[in-house]
Amino acid sequence: MSTKPASSEDILGQKYDRCLADFLVKAGVGFSAGVVLSVVLFKRRTWPIALSTGFGGGVAYADCDRSFNSARIPGTRIISQLSELEGKK
Amino acid sequence: MYRTLPVSRLASSAPRGAVRVIRRRLATEPPAPAAPLPKKKRHVVRTILLSTTALVGTFYIGSTFAAFQNETYYEFFTEYVPLGYSMLSYAEGQHWDTMTVQSATDSAKKTLASAQRYVTDKINGSPRTAHEAVESAKNTRAAAVKVLQDSKDRANAAAARIKTGIKKEMPGTTAVVKHQSEQFSREVNALIREAEAAIEKGIDVPALPTTPEVAAPPLPHTDSTIYHAPLPLGHELPPGYSRPPPPKKPEPTPEEAKSPQLPRLTPALSSLSASEPIIAHLAGTIDDLTTYVESNPLATAQAASVLETAKADLTALATRIEKVREDERSELETKMDDQTRQYTLKLMELEMEAQDRLDGQEQEFRRYLDGERVRLTQAYREKLENELQTQTELINERLKEEVIAQGIELQRRWIREIKVRVEEERGGRLAKIDELSANLKRLERVALDNSTYLDENIRIHALWSALRALSASALAYPVRKPFREELRVLRHISAAREDPVAAAVLESLEGSDAPDVGVEPFADLATWFAREVAPKVSHVALVPDQNAGLLSHLASRAFAGLRFKRHGLVSGDDVLSVLARAEHYLNEKDLDSAARELNQLTGSAKMLLHDWLEAARRRLEVQQALEVVQAQATLASLLVV
Repeated sequence: MSTKPASSEDILGQKYDRCLADFLVKAGVGFSAGVVLSVVLFKRRTWPIALSTGFGGGVAYADCDRSFNSARIPGTRIISQLSELEGKK
Repeated sequence: MYRTLPVSRLASSAPRGAVRVIRRRLATEPPAPAAPLPKKKRHVVRTILLSTTALVGTFYIGSTFAAFQNETYYEFFTEYVPLGYSMLSYAEGQHWDTMTVQSATDSAKKTLASAQRYVTDKINGSPRTAHEAVESAKNTRAAAVKVLQDSKDRANAAAARIKTGIKKEMPGTTAVVKHQSEQFSREVNALIREAEAAIEKGIDVPALPTTPEVAAPPLPHTDSTIYHAPLPLGHELPPGYSRPPPPKKPEPTPEEAKSPQLPRLTPALSSLSASEPIIAHLAGTIDDLTTYVESNPLATAQAASVLETAKADLTALATRIEKVREDERSELETKMDDQTRQYTLKLMELEMEAQDRLDGQEQEFRRYLDGERVRLTQAYREKLENELQTQTELINERLKEEVIAQGIELQRRWIREIKVRVEEERGGRLAKIDELSANLKRLERVALDNSTYLDENIRIHALWSALRALSASALAYPVRKPFREELRVLRHISAAREDPVAAAVLESLEGSDAPDVGVEPFADLATWFAREVAPKVSHVALVPDQNAGLLSHLASRAFAGLRFKRHGLVSGDDVLSVLARAEHYLNEKDLDSAARELNQLTGSAKMLLHDWLEAARRRLEVQQALEVVQAQATLASLLVV
């Protein structure tokens, strides 16, 4: 029985939880900001709200994806040794 | 000596002689000075003087006697009468107080006699005159004796000369004989003169009453040159001491033997000549004279009658002398007997007294001697004791030294003996000791072997016990728990055995953190794998190894549930097959194989299996180490046995 809260087999579950929480927060922040913009700037239109919520959701997704694969940094590409060796050949 | 003896005898016999002399003188001489004095004082003065003297004397003498009788008168007499005390003291000195009538008359008689003697002495002059007369007579006699001696010597010398001359010149000339005879006649003349003088002096002395006593002793003195011992009364001369002169005198006469003979005195007095040498000598002298006269033929006729008378007188004198001597001798003998008796008595008294005194002295001396002896004995005993003590001390000292020396000697000898004995014993016992030591060594070896065996056994037993405890606590325990304590014990025990393999294994095990953390039980591991690890790993089974993002994970999760569950020992390199094989091995309790299968996985699955694999690997490490140690222990126990 696993006594440790952060055991190796629970890493993925924790990542999922954190991603969801981050998505909710960021989507909520985007929704809130869209609401304010819509109210303040866009005379109560809906699109600023959806846009900002999408921005929020997108940021959350990017962060979650980066947490699953830390090596995935924009503009970079990780080439495995084997594939690199095969490529060189 | 013989000159002094007659003097003493003279003195002893003096009183009688003196009295006789005095009487004779009193008889012959008238008392001239005493008679006229009293006749001159017939006066009144004399009567007064006499009466007063008589009265005073009577008074004093009577007072003295009265004083002796009466006490008060004695005091009065001494106190008041002049010269009373001196009178009394004189009377006491003269013992008048004890005087009786008898003693008084006696003393009066005595005083009267002494007074008469004194008076007569005073009248006749000194009482010593008799003694002086005797003395002078003695002196003259001594001179006569001396002269006689001289004449005799000369006669002797002449006779000797004549004899030698005759002997030598018997056949010699008549001239020499004539000369010699003339010389001899001259000498004889001188001799005759001297002899006559001597006889006159000698006859004077015997005229005194003392002659019989005095005359006898000096006579031998005349012949002292010829024989030295005095001749006692009635004794003959010794044979060798016969007088030479009388026999030799006639020797020159043989020439005139043919002339008419004159009477000779010598043969007539030959009997007397033995006791009276002087008379014999006188006879000899007269004979010489006769011979001389005979040689002179003219005078022979006249001389014959004279010589006859001389001879008769001489013989009469000789006989008278003989008779007087006999009387005297008898008287002397009686007196000597009396005196002998008297002196014998006195001697005996004295002897007894002396004996008593001697006895007393002897007793005293004996007492003194005893005391002295006791004292000396005491002193000598003390001295002796001191000596003995010092000697004893010395002897003790020496004995002590000797004892010490002997003790040392004995000790030395004993030590030598003991050494010898020890050597002998050693010789005998060394073999035994060798044998014993060999036995002991064997025994020691056995004991050591046994002990090592036992030690080994004990160590192996301890090792086994520790090993069992460790396995029990580390592997078989149902809960994970730390086992460092058991591991330490086991390591120490194995380190004592110096087993390098076990030591290395246990050291490596101790170096890891497994003992602190402990190992998971196999059941836990199996449960953990089946319930937690295997489903999650199967969820990511489709995720690629590289560039696996969120979408790939979600897709893998979505599609993993759709796949068929595989069981048993299945072939295939995919994750699900590996998981199925691992599960199978775990079911067969082969953790090692299961771990090996799961270790092949890569990517996210490997990341998820990481913890479980760590735990399984730790358990496997411990299990392997314990197996190695157990193998070593088994080997050791097999070696021991």
